[in-house]
Amino acid sequence: MTERVTTSLSDVVPEEALSLPSTDWGRFGPGANVVVCPSNVDEVAATIRWAGATGTRVVPIGTGRHTEGNEPSGDFLLLSTSRMASVQIYEPGDLTLTAEAGLGISALSKVTAENRQWLPFDPVDFPRRSLGGLGAAGQTGPLWTGYGELKNHILGMTVVCGDGRFLKLGGRVVKNVAGFDILRPVVGSRGALAVITSLTVRLFPRPVVDRLLVLEAKSLVDLVGPARAVAMASVLPASIVLVRERNVCQLLVRLHGAAETADADQRTVEAAAGVPFVAVDGGSARVLADSVRDIGGESDLALHAFVLPSRLRELLAIVNDMVDLNVCADVYRGSLRVSCAPEADADEIATRVRHGMERVAEDVVVERLPRGSTHSLGTSRVRSDAVLELERGVKRVFDAGNVLWDGRP
Amino acid sequence: MSSPLPAAVVRSLREIVGRGHLITEPDRLVVYESDGLTAYRVPPRAVVLPASTEEVSRVVAVLHAANIAVIPRGAGTGLSGGALATAEGVVVGTARMNAILEIDASNRLARVQPGVINARLTEAAKPHGLYYAPDPSSQSTCTLGGNVAENSGGPHCLKYGVTSRYVTSLTVVLAHGRVVSLGGAGADPNASLDLVGLFVGSEGCFGIATEIEVRLLPIAEGVRTLLGIFDTMEAAGRAVTSIMGIGLLPAAMEIVDNATIRAVEASVFAAGYPIDAGAALIVEFDGTEAGLDADADRAEACCVQEGASAVQRAAEADHRAALWKGRKKAFGAMGRIAPDLLVQDATVPRTRLPEVLVRIAELGERYDLKIANVFHAGDGNLHPNILFDRLDLDELDRVERASKEIMALCVEVGGTITGEHGVGIDKRDYMPLVHGPEELAAMAAAKAVFDPDGLFNPDKVLPLRTQGTEPAAGAEA
Ligand SMILES: Cc1cc2nc3c(=O)[nH]c(=O)nc-3n(C[C@H](O)[C@H](O)[C@H](O)COP(=O)(O)OP(=O)(O)OC[C@H]3O[C@@H](n4cnc5c(N)ncnc54)[C@H](O)[C@@H]3O)c2cc1C
Repeated sequence: MTERVTTSLSDVVPEEALSLPSTDWGRFGPGANVVVCPSNVDEVAATIRWAGATGTRVVPIGTGRHTEGNEPSGDFLLLSTSRMASVQIYEPGDLTLTAEAGLGISALSKVTAENRQWLPFDPVDFPRRSLGGLGAAGQTGPLWTGYGELKNHILGMTVVCGDGRFLKLGGRVVKNVAGFDILRPVVGSRGALAVITSLTVRLFPRPVVDRLLVLEAKSLVDLVGPARAVAMASVLPASIVLVRERNVCQLLVRLHGAAETADADQRTVEAAAGVPFVAVDGGSARVLADSVRDIGGESDLALHAFVLPSRLRELLAIVNDMVDLNVCADVYRGSLRVSCAPEADADEIATRVRHGMERVAEDVVVERLPRGSTHSLGTSRVRSDAVLELERGVKRVFDAGNVLWDGRP
Repeated sequence: MSSPLPAAVVRSLREIVGRGHLITEPDRLVVYESDGLTAYRVPPRAVVLPASTEEVSRVVAVLHAANIAVIPRGAGTGLSGGALATAEGVVVGTARMNAILEIDASNRLARVQPGVINARLTEAAKPHGLYYAPDPSSQSTCTLGGNVAENSGGPHCLKYGVTSRYVTSLTVVLAHGRVVSLGGAGADPNASLDLVGLFVGSEGCFGIATEIEVRLLPIAEGVRTLLGIFDTMEAAGRAVTSIMGIGLLPAAMEIVDNATIRAVEASVFAAGYPIDAGAALIVEFDGTEAGLDADADRAEACCVQEGASAVQRAAEADHRAALWKGRKKAFGAMGRIAPDLLVQDATVPRTRLPEVLVRIAELGERYDLKIANVFHAGDGNLHPNILFDRLDLDELDRVERASKEIMALCVEVGGTITGEHGVGIDKRDYMPLVHGPEELAAMAAAKAVFDPDGLFNPDKVLPLRTQGTEPAAGAEA
């Protein structure tokens, strides 16, 4: 199969764009018929048209590292944007950057750091994501508290739809209401609507002070009171995170701003929580924040539960005594990510946690499971027929032939 | 001239909303013949004022069953003709749906009906130490439904972002009265496609938002306002770039030009701006009290470095209001010096502001038009206001040509034709300046997902060729 597909694909894309399937391309790597790494938009479109014509599903990926959801069952190819990785326009004075989708976040960060600018997002494994993958996943991380959601900072995109159509969505400016915002559903659609080939993002000035306030306690629920008090305080921190890893429980409040501001905000936070925190600044703060961000990144199990923030305590109570679980909660959103150590029995843990969470949470998303798990990936939320119909309609706008794989759980 | 509604439709509508809330008398319909863009006037066939989601749903069902188009309307302050009726269409107004349903302080959320006035929500949230961030300059009159439909911005959106950042959930009435709930603050934001994000900014063309859930923010502890006076617009524009360039993120940065200053100072709204100044720049910081003076010092240094002849600073509410007065009263003051005003709205990359402002001034000279600029400089969101008399047909023609050139100029430097006022009917035919046929077709297809029969706000946003319909009957430009 692989050989036949590769041969006819090489009629439409150059040989160097084709790679053999392997685990190097992430979870779906081994099962794919072929991996195509186009070097430009025309090759993306040609690949998609070819796939449509041959009944092959297309799964868009960046590096493949963060592929989630269900694997396609029939013939499919992975379309990686990894060879499309150039910065196209960077105007520091505008605080905007346009780059091809395959640009890695760490490479992007190096470019913007020269001007003390950054993309203030922190989903798991952020630096190792591609810009396109970030947009397709639509995940912001806890820094949304201070900066808003990723989707609000994606100003424009170019995409190739399921029939090979090339569309320019949005623009390069921070305010733009010229027409219906058909960019928005693409963000977070995980490649189900279109292959993102470039993005324009809004950047932010790097804060002068990056401070992490740390409070430790014996159990997670002991930290909920202070965490909620901080979330209700008059200052809005950059993020508020509650973590438990290897049975160490911490509340981490991240403050960004000028030195005077950070000092004053720290006093406000401590007054709200009613306890002093340990303050970590600068490089050490970033190292700690990064390690917390990536908790569970390598775990076989990833469960994500969502409630309104005022009900976070109820969610945490479920996992409080399950000390073999690693937990990372975004206090301002009211979400909780659960993972486990490599040696743990992920399937057994999923059984223990899932049911309890589903009773409390508005959404429980099983994002990752060990191979052979008795559970299935997916969300507990039942979307109404009307919403599903609208979603199908939007899918048709971009990919009427259903060429692009919708693996969203 | 529109035809009267069929008697059976009138009966059904009266039954749903009550006799007093269906307007069909021509003299009363005049009130609804335009929005804030008065150059276009079309009296609707009727106006219906429902009071609940259920009533909206039933009203839409009755109208759509009779194949009658529905034009949603909030306060009618829109500046792109979005709420303009079609001769055969019926306006569904949200004026009676003005309840704040819930302020959930512990989750910093509010749930409102669409007819709630923007500033009223902030007032209601105040006792909880919270406020609603998007603040269009029309906030004392415009509705949240209108804000959602236009994805409105405002002076403080530089730091806080526009409406779409705050809307977490919507109840919408779609074609034939189908009621759908989208989103939800407590749910996984990526659990389904971002239909809320798609609906926001749909300008009444997808359906009617009947319940809106938004995020609230904590009220900032302190505020500092600076007013910098400059000899030229270019210098003020450079100061904006320089302030952002050193890593400051003010809450607002607004510029008014000399023509506006003169209009304001000659009016009852006189704010004490020097009338020979080329431009005045307002810079506002908010947040933790302790850091504000340092930020203001650094911004002031930027202004001075770029040639500001004077910089005033205010911390107290009264003094701050005085510095803002010239900006806030600009539109009112301009009404005094010309019978008509076209508020243009376009965005450019911020670094291109100085150049674009010079070229807009040149356009004003070339077309012999008075153009006054009042705008959200930090976002690069320009409002060149063209003053004219619409009874002077030659001038009207020059206004149209200059307006088109301004949009083309903004697009040429990497910007867009509208930053916050929307496309409506006014910019519909200029959409091809920014979007190709494929993009326009995709937008039309997206509308058809929500409104397959094209019965919500027809003839708006997309060029008629894209929509495949005839020109709007009765629209006079
Ligand atoms: C002096 C002045 C200053 C302004 N300043 C700003 C500013 O700073 N920033 C800015 O962004 N705008 C500004 N505007 C424009 C205008 O106020 C905004 O567009 C506002 O959001 C319109 O709200 P409205 O209630 O008046 O809506 P309307 O004008 O009644 O309607 C606007 C559009 O929304 C649709 N609509 C209304 N309600 C609903 C609903 N419930 N569901 C679906 N569709 C609906 C209508 O069909 C129409 O297309 C200004 C206007 C004026 C007159």
